Amino acid sequence: MNDKGRTLIVALVISAVFTGLGIRLAFLHLKPAASTLSRIETGRHLEVETRGPRGRILDRNGNILAVDISARHICADPKFIMEYGDIQKVCAALTAHLPLRRDEVWKLLDQPTRQYVRIKKFMREKAVEPLQALRLKGLIFEEVPIRNYPKGVLGAHLIGFANHDGVGSAGIEQEVNSTLQGSAGLRISQKDGRRREIYSRRTVDIEPEPGADVYLTIDQHVQYFAEKALDDLVEKYEPKGAWAIVQNVRTGEILAMASWPTFDPNRFGSAPAEWIRNRAIGYTYEPGSVMKAMVIASALDAGIVGPQDVFDCENGRWMYGGKALHDSHGEGRLTVADILKKSSNIGAAKIALKMGNEKLYQGLRDFGFGARTGLDLPGEEGGILWNPKRWSKISATRLAMGHEINVTSMQMVSALSAIANDGVRMRPRLIQRVVGADGETIVESLPEEIGRPIRPETAMEMRRLLARVTQPGGTGTKAALQGYLVAGKTGTAQKVNLEEGGYYKNKYIASFAGFLPVENPAISIMVVADDPQGAHYGGTVCAPAFKTIADQTVRYLRISPQGFPPEYVSGLEYNPLKEESAQENYAE
Amino acid sequence: MKKKQRKKSRKAEVRIPFPMLLANILVFVAVFGLSYVWLCAQCDTLGRDIKRLETAHRAAKTQVIGEQDRWSNLLAPANFARALKHHHLAMTLPDERRIIRVRRSGISSAITLAYNSRGRVE
Repeated sequence: MNDKGRTLIVALVISAVFTGLGIRLAFLHLKPAASTLSRIETGRHLEVETRGPRGRILDRNGNILAVDISARHICADPKFIMEYGDIQKVCAALTAHLPLRRDEVWKLLDQPTRQYVRIKKFMREKAVEPLQALRLKGLIFEEVPIRNYPKGVLGAHLIGFANHDGVGSAGIEQEVNSTLQGSAGLRISQKDGRRREIYSRRTVDIEPEPGADVYLTIDQHVQYFAEKALDDLVEKYEPKGAWAIVQNVRTGEILAMASWPTFDPNRFGSAPAEWIRNRAIGYTYEPGSVMKAMVIASALDAGIVGPQDVFDCENGRWMYGGKALHDSHGEGRLTVADILKKSSNIGAAKIALKMGNEKLYQGLRDFGFGARTGLDLPGEEGGILWNPKRWSKISATRLAMGHEINVTSMQMVSALSAIANDGVRMRPRLIQRVVGADGETIVESLPEEIGRPIRPETAMEMRRLLARVTQPGGTGTKAALQGYLVAGKTGTAQKVNLEEGGYYKNKYIASFAGFLPVENPAISIMVVADDPQGAHYGGTVCAPAFKTIADQTVRYLRISPQGFPPEYVSGLEYNPLKEESAQENYAE
Repeated sequence: MKKKQRKKSRKAEVRIPFPMLLANILVFVAVFGLSYVWLCAQCDTLGRDIKRLETAHRAAKTQVIGEQDRWSNLLAPANFARALKHHHLAMTLPDERRIIRVRRSGISSAITLAYNSRGRVE
């Protein structure tokens, strides 16, 4: 074959190749097969669904208690690293910057067929930055939101926590989960060969909306005072649990709610379920003598007894219904005022008997016992108050001293606040307002009256009687605060033995509930200790913690001995008893 | 020879008119095509700019939230207490005896008066 022939053949071959390519291109562009077309479309298609960040949780003064921050999943493309990168280098960098062992990183990377492995989840931006700076081939840093609680354990039981999927699983996070959750956004577009979005091919772009911010009624400093006081109590008396509530008696707002043992919501996974439980609302117990305040208030309100009426307290031992009833200190004849001051079980039992079962039951129901208070938190218990039809002959005598009834501390504080608030029960509130992402207030919670268990005159009388408890000779002298008049009631109740029935001989629930200043009550506080060691009286274990919280709170909130500054009681929908009428009542 | 020259000049006289329409169409198509390409390039540039700004905006937002978080952490009462302790600052509330309270006239109650004069309530 001569040169001419060879040239012809080469030309023919090249022409055939190019003709083939041309035909193929023509087919691909002009009339591609459906399967090819769908493969191309699938490869190019980009659909990203994004969720707006979860709303923040803030205290009443705008201090952030919970916020979504950015975190990273550290992932890798082992196939890419094997082909174009340096597995040794990547492995060394990962073990140097992350708390991982070399063998486990190697095991993850040594998978040449895989294109995606997750090495470490939810890493903070700061921790990832040095690794990102190395610009290692094959490492992917996926951006994900993570819920962060900048105050740590502060208010952990109130705030609760959201799980890694961004779903509220306890506390306020759970209660208002749908409000806090942002709406989903959607972006439909196409990507290029380097997997980058081609902006001009973006067809759908719906921006995700962030969730609403929730402002709570709590104050981070008052919350800290309560938690610190509980820490001191726990250190001294080593109880199984301890909790405290601070409430604004006029508006029903919860200023603090602390519970021990506590947990860090940033590491909720490592906390036992028992630590996560909010004992202030989820633990029911027999309250003991604190209940005498409500029984005597009901009796006074019904006109069955007067403060100066005298009862024989049987020198500390009284047989009734075939059962003995004891006082811790034997007393002879006591007035109703002194029965409360000295916390006589026998005196309170006789008052309850004089009331009769129906009136006693109704009185306690009116104070809110046996039903949830309606606090905006999940896990609130309603307690137990049996119907009088189920009562035995001695039930009234036991109820008067806080037995045969199960309450939560929240119910107790609510009832006590009613006495402090001129007989008006306010719904306890934890959510102050909800503010949308655009800054507009969506929901504003206002003070809400939920009952009037006693008349204002009776409330005034009770305030005077309860103030005597913290005065010399009373059971709660350790709660007295210099410069302020404090009203309160101690409680010491044997714990119920659920396994064997009856009561434990040496296990107690100690408590102190009170409010101040008596002249114009502003805040009510309750402190409870479950099974304290070394001492068990409410006046010994809990009254000092009450005093610590009260002392710091009145100064921080600028509560003078005459009550709250005006801004703390704004927005009330009812007319509190006027000071003039209070004076008239005392004059009588 | 003359005959040949005449033939040649007759041939030269046959002139093809310039295809104005075709030329216009071609120019129009070319301008349209170039405009399309230019616009496409502009769109791509704008798209890239928008994406860059979107990324910058997202990064700024993340940074703001991160700073808010850090600030909030610094303002935690426990951190205050720790900082005070670290700097050996013992801050105590003044004793009640060192406080002079100025009462608003006409609001003191019977209880307050009783407490002040006798030191306890009866």
